[in-house]
This record gives sequence, C-alpha cells and structure tokens, in this order.
Amino acid sequence: MTIVRLLAVYLRVGILTELQYRANFYVQAFRSVLSLATGLAGLAVVFSHATTLAGWRPHELLAVLGVYLVISGVVRFAIQPAMERLMEDVREGTLDYVLTKPEDSLVLVSVRANAIWRLVDVVLGVAVVGYAVATSGGSLGAYEFAAFVVSLGAAVATIYGFLVILTTLSFWFTRVENILVIFQSMYEAGKWPVDIYPAWLRATLTFLVPVAFAVTVPAGALSGRATPLTLAATVAIAVVMVVAARRFWLVGLRRYSGASA
Amino acid sequence: MNDLAVATVRLRKTYQVPVRQSGIAASLRSLVRRTTRDVHAVDGLSLSIAPGEITGFLGPNGAGKTTTLKMLAGLLYPTSGEVTVLGHVPSRREPAFLRQITLVMGQRNQLQWDIPVADSFELNRTVYRVPAAAFRRTLDDLASLLDLGPLMMKPVRQLSLGERMKCEIAVALLHQPRILFLDEPTIGLDVTMQRRIRAFVAEYNRRHGATVLLTSHYMADVEALCKRVIVIHHGRLLFDGELSALVARFSTHKTIAIDLDGDAPDARAVLERIGEVVSIEDGHAVVRVPKSQTARATGEILATLPVADLSVEDPPVDDVIERVFASTRDATGDGDASHEGVAG
Repeated sequence: MTIVRLLAVYLRVGILTELQYRANFYVQAFRSVLSLATGLAGLAVVFSHATTLAGWRPHELLAVLGVYLVISGVVRFAIQPAMERLMEDVREGTLDYVLTKPEDSLVLVSVRANAIWRLVDVVLGVAVVGYAVATSGGSLGAYEFAAFVVSLGAAVATIYGFLVILTTLSFWFTRVENILVIFQSMYEAGKWPVDIYPAWLRATLTFLVPVAFAVTVPAGALSGRATPLTLAATVAIAVVMVVAARRFWLVGLRRYSGASA
Repeated sequence: MNDLAVATVRLRKTYQVPVRQSGIAASLRSLVRRTTRDVHAVDGLSLSIAPGEITGFLGPNGAGKTTTLKMLAGLLYPTSGEVTVLGHVPSRREPAFLRQITLVMGQRNQLQWDIPVADSFELNRTVYRVPAAAFRRTLDDLASLLDLGPLMMKPVRQLSLGERMKCEIAVALLHQPRILFLDEPTIGLDVTMQRRIRAFVAEYNRRHGATVLLTSHYMADVEALCKRVIVIHHGRLLFDGELSALVARFSTHKTIAIDLDGDAPDARAVLERIGEVVSIEDGHAVVRVPKSQTARATGEILATLPVADLSVEDPPVDDVIERVFASTRDATGDGDASHEGVAG
C-alpha cells in the first residue's frame, strides 16, 4: 500500500537523520521521564487527600496519564514534525516540490517528517497503561480491550485531522506556529480526565480542541467506561475530522495555486 | 496539438494584490477593507514547443517567466486560456503527468539537508516508483555525467553550492522525465560550474530527447543551450525564434573596443566623428557604429589614432535583449501601468 511504503521510506530517512544527532535521544529521554515523574507526582498529591477524583480511581487516572503519554508521543513523533515541515515549505516555497510529485499531496506532507526519539514517550506511556491495567485487580475484558484499541486509533485520527486543519491555515496566514502552541497548551489539560473540569472548559476540551476524545475516552475504555454509543461517537468524530481535514486541505491548495507567486 | 510537448493558447494569469498605502491610518483602514488591484503576470501567452527542443525563457525580473513555468508544471491555475503539456492539463496534477515532468528551482532545494545524497535519491525513487534496475542504470549514468561519485555518501549540508546543484539536478532526473522545467538552475554558481551544468543539460537532451524549458539570468546559459528563445515582457510575448535571429534582428550596431598607445588628446573628437562613443578613459575607448559601416570605421580608426589593440564585437546579448524591450515599448506604446509584473 502506498501510504505504508512511503511511511517506511520516510521513517528510514528519519532514523538516518536522528542518528546523526544522538544527543537528542538523551534530551528526549530525560524530558519523557520528567514528564512522567511530574504526572505521577500530581497523582500522588491528589490521592493523598482523596480516594477518587470525580469518580476516577487511582489506577484509572494512571491509565489516563499513560494514554496521554502515548498520544502525545505519537503526535510529537509523526504528526507535529510533518505539520511544522509543511508550514516551513509554504513559507519558503519548497512545497512546489511536493506538489510536483506523483503522489497524493496530503499523504506526502503527512508522512514526510518524523522525530523518532519521541517514541520514547510512546514506550513509557504503554508501560504506564500496562501497569495501570495490571494493578486494577480485575482482568481486562475483550470488549474493554477492543474499545481501547479502537478509541486509541480514533484519537490519533482525530488529532491528526485537527492539526491538519490548523496547519492548512498557513495557506492564508503564513505564520500559524502560534496556533499550534495554543493547541499544545490545551492538550496538556488532557493529563486529567475532562470530567474534573468545569462545564465550560469540559465543553471546550470536547468540541473545540478534541482532548476528551483523544485521551479521556481511550483511558476510560480500559475500565469499561466507554459505552458502545461513546465508542461510535468517537469513531464518527474521527472520520468527520479526517474527511474535513482533507476537504480543507484541498481548499487550501486551490488557494495556494491560485494566488502564490 | 497532442504532438507538441507544450502548447498554450492565450494563457493568462492575473494576481489580485492588496493595495497598501503608507501611514498608520491607511494601514488600519486596510484591516477592515482591503482594496486589491489586478496584476497581469502572464497576459495572453500563446506558445508551442516541440518535443526535444531546448527553449530559453528570457525577460526581466517580473516578466512572468516563473509564473508561466509554474502553470506549465501544474503548480498554478491559469486565470484563463489553455495549457497542455504532453497532452495533459497540468493543473489537474494527474500522476501520469507528474511522472513525466520535473522541476528544478535554482534557489530552492528538495534534497534532505541532513542525510547523505544517496538516501535522498532513494527517497525519490520510492516516491516515483522507479524499478530498482532502471534506477541503478539512471543513477550510474547521472553519476558519471555529473561526477557525483565522491558526493553520494555526504550529507547535503556538507556540500558546496555547486555540488549541491549537481545533486539537485540529478535527483530531479531519476524518474527520467520527458520535460524539464529549469528555473534559474545556475544561479549563484561559479563560471566553471555553470559550464558544467550547461554541458550536462545539453548532453541529457541529446541522449534522452527530453524537452527543456529554461529560465536564466545568465545569457551564457541561453547562448550555450538554446537555439530557440522566447522573450516575454509584462507577461506578453515579444519574440519567439532562434537566438541568432534575435541578435540579427535587434542588433543594428557593432562595438569597437580600442586600446590607445600613448597620448592622443584628439581621440575623443576623432571617435565622435566615427560613431557613438560609449566610453573613453585611461587610453581605452569603446565606440558603437552601425553594422554596415564597421569596416570603414575600423580603417579610419587605425589610420588616425595610435592604436595598440582593437577588437570588433557583437553587442552582448544582454544589450540586445534590452534593446528588444526598449523597441517594443516604443512600438506598442506599452506604458500601461495595469500591466505590471510581479516578482517570481
């Protein structure tokens, strides 16, 4: 399949590139551990005062933290570098080289850049999720596991669509880095289940910036919180996001081809 | 029309550019209501280029060269008019079309900065789905023609500008395109490297019969490579034909350069009688004379002045081009401000 083939070859390039900057690995590993440590410290503080937080028990919150790490790892590993590269190409006019390639332009810009060391976050996150499940007492049912996997996939797709839409704005505004920074800050809120926030913020994190679907739902799925309805909604939102992103990308491209000199 | 490599009919590209006035008040007003103005970057261009031709695009900055090239490569939608390249409509960007073209922009890189050249090549091989055997053959060919051997394993950031350009051209040709769009491929290179690139393009064209469209600021590129030149100005066609015809048609004069031996206080007076004195200082003079009077003028100079050295030259093609722009402006009265080009 084309996407897999392209992903593989760009992943190879990513590995080759990053191997030249080995210091990055240590910096990244340190950052990941630090991020995990502060997350754990936060949990420790909460549970020294209470046994549940908005109905979430300790191992469930640990799962939220783990999913948060996994998703942010995937975003920083693959999606964010590609989007940053795209913005740079729009600014410098090198996007022309992408558009003269006989492959789908959105696929190409989406797989072109990656930062492999960020996979450290994914590994740590998976470990945390595994630990959370192991300490939950009960065993993980087939439905829970399937719901977790499906909602995790949907989460990645949703965030991908969301970031493509934000980045495509660069066809109009050229400088949209700041919008991505706002996204990152909002995403930080995903370390905690969105239920704990006041209604207005919860709504924002659900519908404006899809943090709820990206972290809370998959983590909740592990402890059976994801009803088939929630799951269906999560998948539907992912599909809508990706389709909308693609449409918007094509609109952006038309603008780029119509007005760029 | 399908036999042609490139055909355009009354091709136009109009940009809407915001009109900005200076001053804060005007800037604030433009936040609310932007006024725009139409700029006709390409204005009714009709061209046909046969397969295998090397054609040079000439014109001052902002003449519409790059805009035209980008429309041919499918990067820009024409405002109106028709374009077909190898029988395809470029702006549809069909894979079958894109596989047959390539674009090299002298000022922009497509090679990956941090990895060895060979790996960038591998990347393009995958994107273009070039079979391994064909890829190896093409690569061997390009490597020997461009002398890429020692460069292949170096990361691009360690290459000099000239080395990088050689690799940029090679990576753009790995899929054996039938049409090459070269936008200022030699910009910033030293003379030796320019020559090298030129020789390569000529050789590539000869071997593969590829069609080449080239824009360049260096006349030497055009003189060395292109039998046919297309001159555009303000997005309109000024001249389309052989380079020699361009020179013959528009250069009515020759230039005589003289080195004087010793003092000749009356040199200026003598030369002014003979022709138009372009410059005279420190015993060196340049005179322009009508072509038909070259022999007579040369004889007269040799007879009346203490000449150490003398040479008769065609005016530089650059000057001829300048003359083309000047003469057309006079002929068409094209002072219309609405026909401004935009850079690019």
